[in-house]
Amino acid sequence: MSTAVTHAPAGKPGKRSAPIKGRFTPWFFAAPGLLLLLVFLVLPFVLALVLSFTDQRLVTNEELGTDFVALRNYVRLFEDDSFWAALRNNFYFVAVVTPLQSALALVLALLVNQKLAGARIFRTIYFMPVATTMAVVAVIWSLLYAPDQGVINRFVGLITFGMVGPHDWLREPGLVMPAVMLLSIWQGVGFQMLVFLAGLQSIPLDLYEAAKLDGATVKQQFLYITLPMLKNTTIFVLITTTIYAFQLYTQAQIIASSGASAPIDSFRTMVMLMVHEGFRNGKIGYASGISVVFFVIVLAFSMLQRVLLKEERAVQ
Amino acid sequence: MQANIKQIVKLLALSSALVSGGAFAQASVAVWVHAGPGPEHDAYVASVKAFNDSQKDIKVDLVALPEGSYSDQVNAAALSKKLPCILDFDGPNVYNYAWTKKIIPLDAFPELAAIKADLLPSLVRQGTYNNKLFSLGQFDSGLAVWGNKKLLTQAGVRIPTKVSEAWTLAEFEDAMKKLKAAGVAFPLDMKFNYGVGEWFTYGYSPIVQSFGGDLINRKDFKSAKGVINGPEAIKALTTLQGWVKAGYVNAATKDDSDFVKGKSALSYVGHWTFGDYKKALGDDLVLIPMPKFGAKAVTGAGSWNFGISADCKEPKAAAKVLGFFMSPAEIARVTDINGAVPGTFKSMNANKNFAKGGALEIYAQQAAEKVSLVRPETPAYPMITTAFAEAVNNIVAGGDVKSELDKAAKKIDQNIEDNKGYPVK
Amino acid sequence: MTTTKSQPSQARRERFARLGQYALHTVLVIFFLFPLLFLFVSALKGDELQLLKDMGSLNAFVPYGDISLKNFSHVISGSNFKTAFFNSLLTVSLTVILGVLINSMLAYALARFKFKGRDFLLSVIVALIIIPFEAIAVPLLLLVNELPWVNGEIGWLDSYHVQIIPFIAHAFSIYLFYQFFIALPKDLEEAALMDGANRLRIYWSIVMPLSKPVIATVAVLQFLSRWGDLLWPVMAVRGDTFATLPLAMQSFFGQYPRHWGDVMAFAAMATLPTLMIFVIFQRWFVRSAVSSGIKG
Repeated sequence: MSTAVTHAPAGKPGKRSAPIKGRFTPWFFAAPGLLLLLVFLVLPFVLALVLSFTDQRLVTNEELGTDFVALRNYVRLFEDDSFWAALRNNFYFVAVVTPLQSALALVLALLVNQKLAGARIFRTIYFMPVATTMAVVAVIWSLLYAPDQGVINRFVGLITFGMVGPHDWLREPGLVMPAVMLLSIWQGVGFQMLVFLAGLQSIPLDLYEAAKLDGATVKQQFLYITLPMLKNTTIFVLITTTIYAFQLYTQAQIIASSGASAPIDSFRTMVMLMVHEGFRNGKIGYASGISVVFFVIVLAFSMLQRVLLKEERAVQ
Repeated sequence: MQANIKQIVKLLALSSALVSGGAFAQASVAVWVHAGPGPEHDAYVASVKAFNDSQKDIKVDLVALPEGSYSDQVNAAALSKKLPCILDFDGPNVYNYAWTKKIIPLDAFPELAAIKADLLPSLVRQGTYNNKLFSLGQFDSGLAVWGNKKLLTQAGVRIPTKVSEAWTLAEFEDAMKKLKAAGVAFPLDMKFNYGVGEWFTYGYSPIVQSFGGDLINRKDFKSAKGVINGPEAIKALTTLQGWVKAGYVNAATKDDSDFVKGKSALSYVGHWTFGDYKKALGDDLVLIPMPKFGAKAVTGAGSWNFGISADCKEPKAAAKVLGFFMSPAEIARVTDINGAVPGTFKSMNANKNFAKGGALEIYAQQAAEKVSLVRPETPAYPMITTAFAEAVNNIVAGGDVKSELDKAAKKIDQNIEDNKGYPVK
Repeated sequence: MTTTKSQPSQARRERFARLGQYALHTVLVIFFLFPLLFLFVSALKGDELQLLKDMGSLNAFVPYGDISLKNFSHVISGSNFKTAFFNSLLTVSLTVILGVLINSMLAYALARFKFKGRDFLLSVIVALIIIPFEAIAVPLLLLVNELPWVNGEIGWLDSYHVQIIPFIAHAFSIYLFYQFFIALPKDLEEAALMDGANRLRIYWSIVMPLSKPVIATVAVLQFLSRWGDLLWPVMAVRGDTFATLPLAMQSFFGQYPRHWGDVMAFAAMATLPTLMIFVIFQRWFVRSAVSSGIKG
């Protein structure tokens, strides 16, 4: 670690205050960022922890004040069906979207990395949804998912020769999560594709040349060169996608507020529940409890992933 | 030449007005209304312009906010103590706003006390908390069943024309059966396309009340258990679920115009659709009184109304503005557009729609015969409506009626417990 | 090489592979483009009834009938689109610019100085990466409501700065900058130090110009996450004055009676500018991602 650090050289003899500069300059560079992190990340996080043991309300009534309620928020949380439903929805989403989106991203990256006329155009097209605001994406898709005569229903009917559907995608409790998943993957996969593409392009070409000389097939090249060389990229993609997936909010919230939707517990996520309880119902203490549990879960999950995937890139 | 002189005089008058206006600081009053772009919004703009033009002491700034996120916006403003002087809010929120001291009592303002005497009793009841008046409504809502006369007659359904002739549950269900048989795709339009929100409580709680249930025990407002999940409420919502299952109601519709297009022959919705429906159906539009699902008919009451916020720096000026909004001319400006029941007797009597034989006479009858009932008068209302609306949404999607209502009862009782029973000094 | 005999068959195989790839691309292009095509075509349809009727068929993707910019002019005159667009542009670009500056400075301190607490700071920042914003949103709301502002007012809600300042420092960006800086050769900087240049000057005129790839990466990541954020505006902003596009979009979408043509025009206008920027810059972004080490 220390090797990365330059020792501030003494400079020219007689240069004024060189040692003092050495003591103060790092803090000059670090202070603004540290201050902002402290106030807007660390402090609210500590606050969430503290508030989760109180009955803090959003708008307070002077006569009631805020009381310490010990573990009441947590006890209620674990008794609340909506909380378990939200947890289930979150895990469902992560379990499906993370592997699927990462795999599709890899496939797309491999495809657009081929020397093919038009590859760059294809890459641009696959990336376009990423540049489309999620709020807009959710609105477009909620129309595509329209019951009866919606585009998706027509399409599903067409490829299954009318065996499946029509369905009311956003109202049937079993279909609303898959519907949200599909639109989320559509919107997000282009980004991971670019990350994989970056990984692919940094693999030295002579590795492939050498393999070809040794008579390796395309499949062998992929298995023994591409995949191992992409290991860190894959870990990066998996971890970031998992964290993003846990934070699912915008698209599900827009669908919830778009009119008739499935029973809320069939697609409400932890973040949505937190906003609904804390902001709409004014139960800040309770919502803080959800935040804390949410953080613990995300933390546990990314630690688990790090251990399982044995990331080779230790923090320098 | 003549024109030039006129212009100079005008200019002089204007500048002297400016100077005198500068001598007395003009009070600025911000007003929030919930309205998307549309005629209602235009009416408010016109009202504010009329007020600003009529005098020089007070300047009103109108801010129109979309309804979807309106109460979130009010919460955020209350948190930062930046509520506008005057805001409108849906009726039953008044108790919570009063309890959290977002709004102030209106009784102290002489010009408003005079209006109270002329206010419809349902609006007085809606606006009163802890024996003080906290809000004034320009109009009351009207809720009954719109019918398509042509389709109803074709199917051979009797059309009640006054409150005493209201359908019973059996007749109502028979009518839907006949309509379905006559080829009407979904006989009853219940506006499920509005989505989970206040409409669910406003629109569907009268059905529960007609069956003999309610949302909370109104004796002391301390518990919902055994009421919102009592046998009558369960029966009411099981019946509603049955209509969806039988295909009488399309709970999945995203289309606001099923009734206009003739896909539905009955439309269960409030006064605000009157303009559109009248335009589309003309003389085929009939207003049918609320059916007697149980022992008595019950319909909703209350609507959006105005209050003065605790953050207002010019409450006296705000009271003047509010008084202006409540004048018969300004009430008429809004109710002519949205078809609502004018909020004062003076303005109601001036409106021919509510007179005998008028298109909206049923609303006046329902109000007069005490068919209408305000939503629960408790600061716990925001929780009650959230819990009930969610339960209804789950139930029409096929959820178990009893367990959904049990959940709602638990949420409401926890909320009351959390707030120590909403004590009032 | 001794493949003369198999050359024709190999060429044929390659041609087949190429055909297969094109077929795959065709399916993918349809999948990725149809919602966008649907959006832009619908936005152009002035006749609401036709728009709704077309939804169930291929006509949804065909611009025909009453094609005009009517919906667009409706939205511009009848909604707060213009304000929201300006607000989004202002808050997001300020966040990104200040973020690049402040995060790179902190990363530079960590990468180039040896000072007490440095190792501790570094591990704290790595740990902070996984705190999702969503987990602190609620207490942050209470917090910013108590903070003073330069004009002496207490409370930041409903302002531009409440949508900028909390998002400037970003642990993941700091980490990316740090990774990039430690991989950067130090010779140039050392030479400059010898010549008596101070650290600020070195940072500004030597390190930053060399860091374009990582700057681009961090900027794009920050831009995308801020541009699409709905959660924070929902909580911290009221009214139209400071509302950003996602919030305005949600409000517009939640209005009754809903006019789909207008909704689509709103969505199209909210999408087009970013779409164009990213389509133009994505090539650059790939290159920068390669050299900035985002691939791990």
